[in-house]
Amino acid sequence: MNLYLTDGSEEGFFTAAFRACTDADCVVTSARNVQLAAGAELIDVQTDAERCERVRRFLRRYDARSLGEISLLLRRGCATKEMTALGYLRLIVQRRAPVRDMLAHPAVLEAMSEIKKVTQEAHRFKGFLRFMECSNGIYYAPFEPDNDVLELLFPHFARRFAAMPFAIHDVARQKAMLSDGRRRMLVHTEEKVDIPLSEGEQTMQALWKEYYASVNIAQRPHEKQMKGYMPVRYWKFLPEKQEEPKRPQ
Amino acid sequence: MIDAERLKILTESAKYDVSCSSSGSARANKAGGIGNGYAAGICHSFTPDGRCISLLKILLSNRCSYNCLYCPNRADADVPRASATPEELCELVMAFYKRNYIEGLFLSSAVERSPDYTMERMTDAVIRLRKVYNFNGYIHLKGIPHADRRLVSRAARYVDRMSYNIELPSEKSLLLLAPQKSKESVLLPMKQLAEEKREDMEAKKHTVLPAGQTTQMIVGASPETDSQILRLSEAMYRRFSLKRVYYSAYVPVVRHASLPDKCTGLLREHRLYQADWLMRFYGFSAEEIAPDGENLPEAYDPKCAWALRNMQLFPVEVNTAPLEMLLRVPGIGTMGAYRILKARKFASLDFADLAKMRIVLKRAKHFITCGGKFCGAGSDASVRTLLALGSREETYEQLSLFSTPELAASALTGQL
Ligand code: SF4
Repeated sequence: MNLYLTDGSEEGFFTAAFRACTDADCVVTSARNVQLAAGAELIDVQTDAERCERVRRFLRRYDARSLGEISLLLRRGCATKEMTALGYLRLIVQRRAPVRDMLAHPAVLEAMSEIKKVTQEAHRFKGFLRFMECSNGIYYAPFEPDNDVLELLFPHFARRFAAMPFAIHDVARQKAMLSDGRRRMLVHTEEKVDIPLSEGEQTMQALWKEYYASVNIAQRPHEKQMKGYMPVRYWKFLPEKQEEPKRPQ
Repeated sequence: MIDAERLKILTESAKYDVSCSSSGSARANKAGGIGNGYAAGICHSFTPDGRCISLLKILLSNRCSYNCLYCPNRADADVPRASATPEELCELVMAFYKRNYIEGLFLSSAVERSPDYTMERMTDAVIRLRKVYNFNGYIHLKGIPHADRRLVSRAARYVDRMSYNIELPSEKSLLLLAPQKSKESVLLPMKQLAEEKREDMEAKKHTVLPAGQTTQMIVGASPETDSQILRLSEAMYRRFSLKRVYYSAYVPVVRHASLPDKCTGLLREHRLYQADWLMRFYGFSAEEIAPDGENLPEAYDPKCAWALRNMQLFPVEVNTAPLEMLLRVPGIGTMGAYRILKARKFASLDFADLAKMRIVLKRAKHFITCGGKFCGAGSDASVRTLLALGSREETYEQLSLFSTPELAASALTGQL
């Protein structure tokens, strides 16, 4: 069995796929901590522009839309994402036609549900992302998504806050995208950045917490549903989910 | 900036309004402005009661000169009072919006001094947001009954959605429980706005209420049956092209001889929403869903109930049934029906295929065949029993789906 180890990039995946596609019993992954099974051979994939382009050209020819789908699949935050993408790719190669409507096929089903996890998380963060006003006037939003959705999320805010300088920071993946109203930039960051907040920021957060507490209907608690829609792992950066404001009786 | 105390009063008075959806408007951000609409709506947070926060839902004032019996802010009530100025409101909206706490504003108000005075101040606030603050985010404005029609037309050109609440399902109940409001004071502005929107669309201007109108009624404060309620909704959808009718299970906040002293069950509200979906997306009429004078059965959802009354139409063959019929199978939602249409082009589907496609077979299996094969229960009586038993388990999970309009849209379609 061959194990193709890629650098996690799309190009790395397509390079690996060039051979892996017909290598029936193989594993492709970018996970660094894989356990090598006995008899497995490790192939460290060096991105190869030529091979990568040949796979892409094939896809463009038979189903151009799948390029976008595979790119979404590779944004999944799990170690088997390359295998899901490969399963989907293999089926397209086999049939030389779009396969996304073959919804009873396990490979298609898996691909579609994994894509949904990515787009759904990107959509969720359109709501759950929280900006803080910094003392230099920039609005800064740190977050820790399960999947690599920063680039998917950014255009939404670039449209919405077109005239406002802001930064969105994927703390775990150590990268941030910035916009100053005209230019946009992707930068690599340290894990922790220290940013002084504006004078009014604490007041606004307190007012928001007050609003959050007041709009709740206490006679109808439904904590389970709240957590279902807004999983606890996302609470870290939500001011309203930090300790409750003290309310006089 | 508004202080925490007034924010609390003005929010608590607005929180029972259920229509928090921010969907339906794709207002673009103008040069130099802040914000835009997002057609599918976005939830920004969830409160411990499981509801979504999308808009800043707030009253401009809770100082009311009306006396609706069920309302904690009625003139006779002894409660803390507060008002915000249009300017204070704008500042709050902008500060929350820039931090991505909210998708926009849902502005309502008690009738302070007079309907015209109130409507003018509300209109002032939204125009200020648009013109002074360059705000292009979502705005839902509540209409004040009896306000001058010119004020109403003016406001409609600056906001995404307006709603006049019908409040109660019959004129008689409205008169009894909300004596200063009248059927006309609610329906005439709705009609006026529907006409203005139509003209605006015909002129291709798209400035009037891009997200249309909605309304809301309280269920269970008065004796009307579900069939009456659904007929009223059907008529309003048709006459005023409403986007949504919201049903709000009655919560007694006030004690009065003319009011029930118990909460209306959430299950009733839930069944009404299900029925409403069937009318809007599944091609059912109010008449089919709830025969005259009847309430919706609690034991199973309204689609199951309809199917059980029409067993002679079933089972249908999944591989050949037309879309309209697939949509009427209990357990197959709109998403499921479209998935079946797509997948059956490639191969004849069997039960295992349906399961893989995440079609919930628990209910559907009694109403379909796959390649001629039937796996449902043998008699109508056993189907009835099984569906009722199944629905008891699901009620709790499903109830939750309906209280958040946005998410419900995607989650629900697969459910009915
Ligand atoms: S008009 Fe009626 S429902 Fe509205 S605030 Fe006044 S009393 Fe309450």
